[in-house]
Amino acid sequence: MPEQAQRRADLPEPRETPEPDDHAFEELRHIIVSPEQEQIVEIRSRIENPQRRVEDVSSVVAEAIQMRREQGGGAALAAALAPTVEETLRESVGRDPEVLAGALFPVMGPAIRKSITETLRSMLESFNEALEHSISLRGIAWRIEALRTGRPFAEIVLMHSLLFRVEQVFLIHRETGLALVHVTAASVRAEDPSMVAGMLSAIEQFVRDSFASPREESLASMTVGGLEVWIEEGPHAVIAAVIRGHAPASYRLRMKEALEEIEGTWGAALESFQGDTGAFRAADRRLESLLITAHRERSSSVRLAIAAGALLAAVAAGWISGVAYQNHKWSEYVRRLSERPGIVVTSYEKSGGRWHVRGFRDPLANDPARDLAPYGLASRRADLEFAPFYSLDDQIVTLRAASLLAPPSGVHLAEHAGTLAASGTASSVWIAGFRERAPLIPGVVSLDTTELRNREIAALQSAVLTFPLGQAKLESGEESAVTRAAEDLKAIRHYADRTNQSASVSIIGHTDSSGIEGTNQVLSLERADLVAAMLAKNGIPNEMLVVRGVGATEPLRAENSEEARHFNRSVTFQVKLSPLASAP
Amino acid sequence: MLQKKICMLGSFSVGKTSLVRRFVESLFDERYQTTIGVKVDKKVVQVDGQEITLVLWDIHGEDVFQKMRMTYLRGMSGYLLVVDPTRRATLEEALGLKARVEEALGRIPQILLLNKCDLIADWEIDLDRIGKFETAGQPIIRTSAKTGEGVEEAFSRLAEAMLHSPS
Repeated sequence: MPEQAQRRADLPEPRETPEPDDHAFEELRHIIVSPEQEQIVEIRSRIENPQRRVEDVSSVVAEAIQMRREQGGGAALAAALAPTVEETLRESVGRDPEVLAGALFPVMGPAIRKSITETLRSMLESFNEALEHSISLRGIAWRIEALRTGRPFAEIVLMHSLLFRVEQVFLIHRETGLALVHVTAASVRAEDPSMVAGMLSAIEQFVRDSFASPREESLASMTVGGLEVWIEEGPHAVIAAVIRGHAPASYRLRMKEALEEIEGTWGAALESFQGDTGAFRAADRRLESLLITAHRERSSSVRLAIAAGALLAAVAAGWISGVAYQNHKWSEYVRRLSERPGIVVTSYEKSGGRWHVRGFRDPLANDPARDLAPYGLASRRADLEFAPFYSLDDQIVTLRAASLLAPPSGVHLAEHAGTLAASGTASSVWIAGFRERAPLIPGVVSLDTTELRNREIAALQSAVLTFPLGQAKLESGEESAVTRAAEDLKAIRHYADRTNQSASVSIIGHTDSSGIEGTNQVLSLERADLVAAMLAKNGIPNEMLVVRGVGATEPLRAENSEEARHFNRSVTFQVKLSPLASAP
Repeated sequence: MLQKKICMLGSFSVGKTSLVRRFVESLFDERYQTTIGVKVDKKVVQVDGQEITLVLWDIHGEDVFQKMRMTYLRGMSGYLLVVDPTRRATLEEALGLKARVEEALGRIPQILLLNKCDLIADWEIDLDRIGKFETAGQPIIRTSAKTGEGVEEAFSRLAEAMLHSPS
């Protein structure tokens, strides 16, 4: 113990003691115990003196904390320190916030920036998709689904709609920019990966240098036309994914996971990489898992094609049905046309977008072109060729007869099965003409005149010339009636001549029932003779007149009044037409 | 497969690009050099029966407009230092570049290329000095982009040096 020896040498001289034994003992005790005593004093002073204690702890406090952490008591340590640290920070901020802000600034800036950038990017990506799908039919369906399932719309959109293809994935050695592994999706033509990887690294470094961004903030993506290159950097390796379309933000997480796994598995190999890429061959599979192709349920081009097809089909169907409808209208038109009197359709066909209808048309039939409009058909698309002909349709024959014979009002013509019937009252002149010309009309074979009355005959036969009682002379004013009768007779005679008939007119004298029969007979004959003579004076030949006196035997009216008796004192006419045996 | 990143260094217009143009596989436009300062090409060489893919970073020469980006040199296994002997200054600049590279990355395989050896009559550089460098162990190859002389050799020798380098 050299120290003790030394200390002994430095010790003060022992105190004087009364007894030599005591003194010796004391000295011995001193020699034995003193060093320990000294140490105890020293230790006590260390313990009791706070200044010394602080000095002692200060020399080991850092090592102690470190040791504690290394022993795995980090959490307990943190828990123990946390309140103090928090208190300290609070106190520091309370005293002067600038100090802490200044200290944290270099850390907080990039952290906040990175966080905001990341948030904005993923937000934009989902926003874009949400926007894209919010107004489509499917978008509406997805909104309903979101409502139904209680999940956010954006999530539903993400779940359904993503369409992208990761065409190539590079694993690049960060330090050298050499391509370690390169995988491509099927049917993707890729350029030389070593050059592409090198250029990617160069660009990445260029961006970093040019914009003086710290190493932590690397180029995350590049966009080239429809392609995006997403880059994820680890400490030793970089994964670059070439993506066609828009990958969701979640894809970056997959890249991160793959990169972490690769860094974990091949960390040492990456660190000592000397250009031999063979060591990373096994990373192929991990990278291939990043070659994702996400389809929409139906790609937009297919959807477009289907829509176009449907539209085309609809148009075609519309066109076909339009054509069919047009065809139907045309056939209906032709059918109705051929039912029309005076029209015969011999053929109809469609060629060159026009309809050709051919046939015959009686000039008296309706113009076929007039029927087009009611059927909604355009006359400009119609070629109507109708040759003129005489139709024997009853209606047309009737029309033809009417147009040729010009019947006076009150006369009605109707042809049926070749027989033209005339009814009503007409002048004998017209009737004569009718009888002459009607048989010449095409379609008229025979005439029916049973309902046709000759106006002159009717007038004559209804004429009553009255006489005073017992006399054979006309009452005054009746002369004009005789003149009218003469006119009628002339017309009748003329009519009979034209119609190849002989006309005889009976002039019948009447009396009333007063007086005796014999006298009345004579009187009636005298009266008839008188009228016959007057008619002869008016130019009526005698041979057509037959005079008869019937007395009171054929009264015109029952004699129940003076007026009736007066009526019976008269002369009447009876016309008789007989066909002549020989033709004129 | 063995890949090595190499760089092509040298002053502006010493003929780096012409030197590689005929001998390497190119994918990218030469305009990249003037925009981002580098163009990456590829050259496959055989060394001792082993195929080595040289990924060649053809780095834009320094001029008043553009400084060479040292970051582009990161991770390279070797480099070709190109000099235009018809312009004396390019040798000094090359030596300066070499010093900077060695400062940043240490001593790694490299070869000094004296380009335009077809124009040897116009050379301005001090040939004695070159001889001294060679004696001191500086590998030097005379090349011509025009005739192709020495180009393949340059790549092969660099590849060989890298393969046998302990780094």
